[in-house]
Amino acid sequence: MMELFLLAGRQLRRKKLRVFLIVLGIAIGVAAVIGVTALGEGIRVQAVEQIKASHDLTTVEVSAGAEAGNVTLITESKIKAIKQEENVLFVAPYVKDSYVTQNNTYLAVKGVTPEYRGIHSNLQLEQGNWFDESTHSNYTQIVLGYDVAKRLAVTEDLGVGDEFGAKIRLYGEEGPPRDKSTVVKIVGILESAGDEHDNQVFVGITEAMEMDEKDAYDGLLVKVDDPAFVASVREKIEEIGLNAQSAQDVIDEVNRLMVAVTLVLGFFSGISLVVGALMVVNTMIISVYERTREIGLSKALGASDLDIMKMFLAECLIIGVMGGILGDLLGIGFSVMIDLVGKPFLVSTLGGELGASLQAGSITAITPSILAVGFAISLVLSIVSGLYPARRAARLSPLDALRQI
Amino acid sequence: MTVETKGLTKYYWMGKEKVVALDGVDLKIEEGEFISIVGPSGSGKSTLLNILGCLDSPTKGKVFLDGAQVDYRNKRSLVILRRKFLGFVFQTFNLIPALNAVENVEYPMYFNKPLKSKSERKEKAMKLLALVGLEKRANHLPSELSGGELQRVAIARAFANGPKLILADEPTGNLDSVTGRSILDLLTRLNNEEKMTIIMVTHDFESAKRMGTVIRILDGRIQEQER
Repeated sequence: MMELFLLAGRQLRRKKLRVFLIVLGIAIGVAAVIGVTALGEGIRVQAVEQIKASHDLTTVEVSAGAEAGNVTLITESKIKAIKQEENVLFVAPYVKDSYVTQNNTYLAVKGVTPEYRGIHSNLQLEQGNWFDESTHSNYTQIVLGYDVAKRLAVTEDLGVGDEFGAKIRLYGEEGPPRDKSTVVKIVGILESAGDEHDNQVFVGITEAMEMDEKDAYDGLLVKVDDPAFVASVREKIEEIGLNAQSAQDVIDEVNRLMVAVTLVLGFFSGISLVVGALMVVNTMIISVYERTREIGLSKALGASDLDIMKMFLAECLIIGVMGGILGDLLGIGFSVMIDLVGKPFLVSTLGGELGASLQAGSITAITPSILAVGFAISLVLSIVSGLYPARRAARLSPLDALRQI
Repeated sequence: MTVETKGLTKYYWMGKEKVVALDGVDLKIEEGEFISIVGPSGSGKSTLLNILGCLDSPTKGKVFLDGAQVDYRNKRSLVILRRKFLGFVFQTFNLIPALNAVENVEYPMYFNKPLKSKSERKEKAMKLLALVGLEKRANHLPSELSGGELQRVAIARAFANGPKLILADEPTGNLDSVTGRSILDLLTRLNNEEKMTIIMVTHDFESAKRMGTVIRILDGRIQEQER
């Protein structure tokens, strides 16, 4: 076996320039695939990191489950079941309603528990206090989200301490909808949270449920002690018929998207590999022609078809190994270049937060598996391309081959 | 190795024209003989040699090597015959340019692998080179050797797998007469020392006569056999 490769190496050394050119051809193809894949992988890693930084990975969002027309509501008993699961720290149910003021301004109301504020730590008071559910009064205490507060201050001249009348429309199971009135008092205003909470109005959950007369919650946040157990908790929740989501879903989505994009890009950049493969086919066919006499001679001296085939394939294998190594090196070079040249361009084009986040890290990621695949591609490519010429060589009749000059 | 042919016939088709290369050749060669086949070009002598050497197959007729009939349809058995029992010497030497002299001699042993280890093979190749008087040129590439030296290497190579029959196709054809004579002397010496059968094709009748049995061939038929 060893000698087979020594012999093949000897043959290749006699046509160094030709071999160098094929190896370079394959290597460039491999490098292109590696560069593109590394870019895809780099962006994927960045995106996932960003999601991890901005999302709470230990929270599962639960909503009512709907399966085959059956709706499973988030009831008290379901919550009790979830609370008893392992690794669950606490749960924060909430309800969603919409109130309308006397001036017909709609308010998106969320009835929440203190635990809800514990999970969304970005809900911080700018003025006033949170509602105190222990003191029962004849008005409903509300806390305004940043944007709502601004809107109400401008349109209705309302601020902390102000009371106003509001209505909620109830859709019963029977009969026409009816309106229910209440008096609300603004007890606090929040700082900007930078998300959907800025447009919401918060109410204590007990009062909210008294108002809307619902007997189930609209949503539930489940806090898990460790991100590693999120998946198992989710499964348990789904087992009892509820719908559960976590930041992992977003990460999975990004992963799927980026893997698909990278595969497509890698595939098309791999077209350059076809050129490399054709070079191997071409060179090996020429080599078979040039060495026809030698093949005939080898057969006369006792070589079988398989021996001849192995000799040619060994040369292809050496070309493949060299192409793989050089391709990996060039691929690393490519991705360094993408980082140096491509990153400033991407950052300036994307601008804003996304651009800034790219600035921090590298936009390409070379993993051992990318390099291994690059190497394997080169190997497989050169062997497959060598099959036809090698077979052609093996099938030569020894006499015809010897006669050829 | 004894060689026997019965009614050996070979046709070629050149377009629509049938060319008769061999026309019912009956031949019997004893173990250890040195046979020269002479005849003008186109007489069929090379075809006969190629068929005996399992490089070509007959249209009709039978070939027996050591009494066993050669099955020309069985490619594998032809490979084994060539590998283990036959040795070739060509007019144009046919050394592999990428390999030096000793590696060229080793080359056929490579296909006969189970026989020896790498070092044993090299040792044997060196012995064969010494036999043809070229041990000092062992590490030279073919491009660095003269015509006579190339043919000596080729003869050493033909002996590599310990063949029982050597087939030489105009081994002196590309050499000047002095060198040619030394090659023939070498073949004669090896024939005497190693006791294998040698069949040589040549058109040099005078030197053929000195070697041993001469078979004259013309238009695919054996004209006469002189001992």
